[in-house]
Amino acid sequence: MIKLESITKSFLLGKESVHVLNGISLDIEAGEFVAIMGPSGSGKSTLMNIIGCLDKPTEGEYYLGGENVSHYHDKELARVRNQSIGFVFQQFHLLPRLTALKNVELPMIYAGISKKERQARAEAALLKVGLGDRMDHLPNALSGGQKQRVAIARSIVNKPKLILADEPTGALDSKTSTDIMEQFRELNSEGVTVIVVTHESEVAEYANRTIMVRDGLLQPPAVMERGRLR
Amino acid sequence: MSFIENLGMALSSLKAHKMRSILTMLGIIIGVGAVIIVVAIGQGGEAMLKSQITGPGNTIEMFYQPSDEEIRSNPNVFQQSPFKQEDIRVLEQLPEIKRVVASSTKLSTARLQTESADVSTTGINQAYLQLNELKVEKGRGFSSADFLGGRRAGIISNKLQEKLFKEENPVGKIIMVSNQPIEIIGVLEKPTGLLAFGSMEVYLPFQTWRNIFGSSDFTQVTLQAASAEQLQVAGKKAAKLLNNLHNTEKSYQVINMEEIAQGVGQVTKIMTLIIGSIAGISLFVGGIGVMNIMLVSVTERTREIGIRMALGATRGQVLTQFLIESMTLTLIGGILGIFLGWGTSTIVSYFAGWPSLVSWQVVVGGVLFSMIIGVLFGLLPANKAAKLDPIDSLRYE
Ligand SMILES: Nc1ncnc2c1ncn2[C@@H]1O[C@H](COP(=O)(O)OP(=O)(O)OP(=O)(O)O)[C@@H](O)[C@H]1O
Ligand SMILES: [Mg+2]
Repeated sequence: MIKLESITKSFLLGKESVHVLNGISLDIEAGEFVAIMGPSGSGKSTLMNIIGCLDKPTEGEYYLGGENVSHYHDKELARVRNQSIGFVFQQFHLLPRLTALKNVELPMIYAGISKKERQARAEAALLKVGLGDRMDHLPNALSGGQKQRVAIARSIVNKPKLILADEPTGALDSKTSTDIMEQFRELNSEGVTVIVVTHESEVAEYANRTIMVRDGLLQPPAVMERGRLR
Repeated sequence: MSFIENLGMALSSLKAHKMRSILTMLGIIIGVGAVIIVVAIGQGGEAMLKSQITGPGNTIEMFYQPSDEEIRSNPNVFQQSPFKQEDIRVLEQLPEIKRVVASSTKLSTARLQTESADVSTTGINQAYLQLNELKVEKGRGFSSADFLGGRRAGIISNKLQEKLFKEENPVGKIIMVSNQPIEIIGVLEKPTGLLAFGSMEVYLPFQTWRNIFGSSDFTQVTLQAASAEQLQVAGKKAAKLLNNLHNTEKSYQVINMEEIAQGVGQVTKIMTLIIGSIAGISLFVGGIGVMNIMLVSVTERTREIGIRMALGATRGQVLTQFLIESMTLTLIGGILGIFLGWGTSTIVSYFAGWPSLVSWQVVVGGVLFSMIIGVLFGLLPANKAAKLDPIDSLRYE
């Protein structure tokens, strides 16, 4: 499903270029539940952005569902994000002036889906995450956990095969975190590939594979095992 | 994404900042309003000037302008009345001419016993009454019989009645005009209006006037055409006819209205253009206001733009969203401006007695123009929004 080949990413800061990813090769099969861990600043978010087609790698090839998307244009990347990928962010990123329902409708607007179908599908998605009674609430009137559930509803509404969550529980207490992770587990059991970036080992335990990133490189599994044992 | 959806989105984000939206619109409202007012009053003024030159009821005045040669051979040419009775009869035969209104005026003396006054005595033909209503407040107006028989009947002005009769009712009384007895059949209404002083006047049927003054010539001839379109043709034909009859080259003339109307049109067009471009500048300033606010809005909504892009909005869709938003802003402003301009020019024309014309072209033009301003001045902010990087925008605080 996902195949990264020697991906590097560097940013230009003034005249100096900062190397954030230093050659990452990675395979993720369809239906996997993967956790990405690593110290702050190691490049996890940068990697997620590339996997999510929000950013392009400096070097290397990225195959998503068999297609090489590393040289796609902005417009094609937008279509891929819209159709194939669902995002969940730590800061929720809901539009504050839209109700929960309208927020969930957004990806479908850009997919060109009719108003009627949009509404029906958004309602179904909100029901699925257990927010049937909060559809007309503005984000301000929702708790953190509820906001994140709206975000999850929004991420699945276009029926993507891949869901990317960058520290989805980072702003939530542990009980709410469990709720949210249960949502991801359920989606994964339905066949959706889920990738979660996290600092919490409780969260990583939901995954069936954990990838460690350090200084823009993947840690070999052996080192990782040792890390876990300790 | 459909236009309607974009429009709904634009309206809701404009509603989220009502005060700001209204203040921004104000520039467009005033700009469009000013343009409408200028154009409306300009077109109204042009229409009024043209109608004043043409005269009411498709009429045109004929005049006599003797050539140098005629003046040399006949130094008294200016003392003579230029139009003969025969001329009138010939003019009446022209198919384009509906009526020939002819009159002659001479100064003379009106006398009642010892009381006397200098009066202007006007002999009129019957057609005269069709164009110039002689409104009587006492007695009656002229009848056909008065004209045919050349009855010694006259209508006097209010001022002359005051002078000769004081409070007495003059109807049926006889006065001496140029030492000839005239029976008064009616008295004209007092002229109304601030500047109407009234003058000493006697009106007589032309036959009667001719018998008194011994002249059958007319000093004034006005032609009335069957329609406005025929007026110019009728005038030209009439002038040619009289020049032939009198063996003159072009002494008999009518005012060339086309030229004058063109001149008037030119002047009002230039005026409208000058004032209009000043109004246009205010519209331009309004457009810059729109651009400014849209730039602020794009910066404020950086995160929103990032979210939309992450969810699959293309740069084109973001560009369209902001273009439609600024266009909606100026369109609403433009429509309100049209109402403002229409209302103001209606009020102005009501008090100034000056017609105002808000044509549909101006309204449609105003709507289109304000939309164009929205697109033009929205281009820069919308482009800024579309060029944002999704990741940077998502991180934007
Ligand atoms: N646009 C950018 N320009 C310059 N440097 C950047 C840019 N984006 C990220 N970086 C740098 O890349 C490095 C990795 O950042 P990244 O956000 O991927 O870390 P992370 O692993 O997600 O950290 P955290 O766990 O704190 O979220 C950091 O040192 C950061 O400063
Ligand atoms: Mg991060």
